[in-house]
Amino acid sequence: MIRYTIKYVLLVFVLVGFATACSNDDEAMMDDDMMMDDDMMGMDPDFSGTFAQVDFMGRPGINTVLSADGSIKDAHNMAIPSEMTATFQADFEARLEQYHDVYAMKLGLDPADVDYENNILGLDATTLTTVLSADVLEVAPDLPTTYFDPGTDADNDGRILVPDGDEVALTGRKLSDDIIDISLILLFGGMEGDRFSGQDLDNDGMADLPRLTSDGVGLTADILMTFPYVGDPE
Amino acid sequence: MNKLTKSMVRLGTLVFVGTLFMAADHIDAPSSMGTTADIADFFAFEPLAGSDNTVFVVDLQSDVLPDLAYGTFDEDVLTEINIDLDDDLVEDLVIQAIPRDGRMYFFGPAAPSQTGLNGQVLMDFPLGDVEISGTTAIVENTDNGVSLFAGPRQDPFFFDFFQFNAVIDPDVNSAPQGFLPPDEAQDTFDGANTISIVVEVPNSLLGTPTATNALGLTVYNTWVTTNRKQ
Repeated sequence: MIRYTIKYVLLVFVLVGFATACSNDDEAMMDDDMMMDDDMMGMDPDFSGTFAQVDFMGRPGINTVLSADGSIKDAHNMAIPSEMTATFQADFEARLEQYHDVYAMKLGLDPADVDYENNILGLDATTLTTVLSADVLEVAPDLPTTYFDPGTDADNDGRILVPDGDEVALTGRKLSDDIIDISLILLFGGMEGDRFSGQDLDNDGMADLPRLTSDGVGLTADILMTFPYVGDPE
Repeated sequence: MNKLTKSMVRLGTLVFVGTLFMAADHIDAPSSMGTTADIADFFAFEPLAGSDNTVFVVDLQSDVLPDLAYGTFDEDVLTEINIDLDDDLVEDLVIQAIPRDGRMYFFGPAAPSQTGLNGQVLMDFPLGDVEISGTTAIVENTDNGVSLFAGPRQDPFFFDFFQFNAVIDPDVNSAPQGFLPPDEAQDTFDGANTISIVVEVPNSLLGTPTATNALGLTVYNTWVTTNRKQ
């Protein structure tokens, strides 16, 4: 029953959209006629044919960060979201562990001793890569957009990055969202979000752990307050 | 040897990594990188707090690396924004964009003629069209509250790409401290341009989602594809 209701609602929206688009097209035709362009010349654009998928993107960086090689990246671009978790989750989890192995070696540690730890969202490696492998960008129609906003530590537990009810996350992606830092925190930050953040453990003024939870850069492009929101080319 | 060339040479030594990393989606895979169908980035957001519209920005190509194709839309490439409402990860609605003779034509939002890897232009559902811009933005606002744009823009993505490649290099001497502090880090994309397709749509045209995200918030599931004419 619910499914039928949804379909009905969808149909109404589609019909409204169609009707509105048609009336708009009529106006466009009038403008076109005034300008003696293609419509008058009998050269309507040809949109016929079948188009086959060649590239894909949902969340930023998922394919590029978590697919281990070119063949997996190509396969991901030729995939559809409903089949992605079954196809890519295991590869993504292995890749996540490879990144930790790289830094284990740089720290002179046994790679077997340095593993991913549950992140600020409490997700273990399998759950995180399951979520990320279904590669879609979620967008909330009725909430402020943010890839991740840590909120204000509403429960005063000192962990502002840990969801406690006042944070907003995964409601879309603004042009200014620092998705690299957020991704790094989710992949390497552990439960507190700062597991590898350049800590000076022995207070000698030198970092003892690598800085892996921020790339250190912010937005440099011009962002506009009005459509089309992205700045003129440089 | 310039900075870029040095980095490219160093990349050849990677053991675990093996292939050039680029984000967010810029030249992410061998088959699409550098082509006119290469998706560079995808954004979806509420334009202002409390707005009833959603904005989709699709960036194709980017000149962040000098040898990449950049600058023109391909008439054989259909760009498609996919929207899943009921959380089955199958597109319920699509918004399509395809260039013809200096204009970008938009179709939808409407149910696709078929879901999956192949599709056709929804010619029965025209949304509007806009002249492809030069360096100054040309915007089309339709009577049903939709805004349309296509043309070159700054690439808004930011990332210290060269340091990242050093970070993931398994050589123990490569970036043992990880990323650089803010006063030393550099946004590789500073100064890069891309060609953008931007469409702002009233949410009423997109239907009512029942999907939820990991925090239980009601969302559209969205993704973008490029599709080449067969």
